[in-house]
Amino acid sequence: MFMAALILIVSTGLFFFYLQALCQKILRRQFTQEFSQSIVNANRLEFPSVRKAIEDLGSPVEYPRLTLTLKCDFLALTYLLKNAANVNQRYSYEERLLIVYFKFVFASLVSRHMLKLREAPAALKLTRILEYFANVVGERVNTVRFGNLTASDYLLNL
Amino acid sequence: MSDLLFTRGLQYAGYVVEAIICLLLFWHGRWKRLKLLCMYVGALFLLDGVARSASFSFFGQGSTQYYYFYWVTDVMLALGAFLLVCGFFHRACAQDEKRWAFVRLLLVSVFTIVLGVSALSLTRNYAHLYTMFIIEFSQNLYFSCLVLNTLLYVMIQQLEIEDDELGLLVCGLGVQFAGEAAGLALVHVTWGGAFATILFGYLSPICTLGMLSIWIYAIGKAPQEVPVPSKLGKKAALLEAVAD
Repeated sequence: MFMAALILIVSTGLFFFYLQALCQKILRRQFTQEFSQSIVNANRLEFPSVRKAIEDLGSPVEYPRLTLTLKCDFLALTYLLKNAANVNQRYSYEERLLIVYFKFVFASLVSRHMLKLREAPAALKLTRILEYFANVVGERVNTVRFGNLTASDYLLNL
Repeated sequence: MSDLLFTRGLQYAGYVVEAIICLLLFWHGRWKRLKLLCMYVGALFLLDGVARSASFSFFGQGSTQYYYFYWVTDVMLALGAFLLVCGFFHRACAQDEKRWAFVRLLLVSVFTIVLGVSALSLTRNYAHLYTMFIIEFSQNLYFSCLVLNTLLYVMIQQLEIEDDELGLLVCGLGVQFAGEAAGLALVHVTWGGAFATILFGYLSPICTLGMLSIWIYAIGKAPQEVPVPSKLGKKAALLEAVAD
């Protein structure tokens, strides 16, 4: 009975560890160029400033602003992921997985705040996910722009 | 009824994905590089998808024949999983012969220990010698595969091996092993409670499906740069030199 309980705890922990490792592997994807910056500028996203604050000061900005910023950026980027230059108008499997992962990490950020633990690692993870989303959106927009039809070609053909 | 339908749906989805992986491996000619993976997925499809289903429909769920067949194929799959983990270790140690020699010794030791520990269960159950040994051996081997797989993942991280495909394949295997081990342990903890048994019924095919989906992602999308230490490496260098 004791061994079974031990195996249950270890295996459950490892199950979530592997899922997290998988998400980290997806996030490590190298893009051909930095696509996120144009998306950040165009949509006035704030997650790069949150990351800079954490990296410079070691701690994020005040908690209510941090959660609101990350949540707003997440909503904007998930909307763009689904609708911007996306022919199928739906998320891919890895995007779905990362959306769930974002929600888990966000919940961990909230619980860390309630338990008065360090919030910076969770906040950094969230900004990484948002950066990935911004890169994916940027890459898609770029593909449309430099595909067979340029933006001006498209407009001329209207 | 709907529960059974859902579980069957998951199982058949698993078989379809197994077939897709086999096709994907042959389509891109990656089976040469991923021979063990190809063999394991093929065995999974043939034993779990074809042979078990045939045995189920021929003998019936409650028959002794199906019971024996199920556990014998389970041991075969566990052995296949163990060999696959060994193959992943070999790939991770491709650049370092000394490390591979040490890892090989470790793998042989683990297998011997699992065999020994499982044989101990024979002394406690003389009435069901054959089945007890098979069940115990299969479960012990699966759990040691989980531990070895975790060690492999840690090794990849520590040595900073730049092989994304291997990392993803190991992650997939880990999800399968950990999920099944957790489900089985839950059944043991609750003394075979109805909820735990139903949950395990769902968890097992979901984990298999998860593993296969991760493998599809790994084979189809991960960068292809893999360390090639053998003749291929020399050929590539030669081609580069000629191109220069």
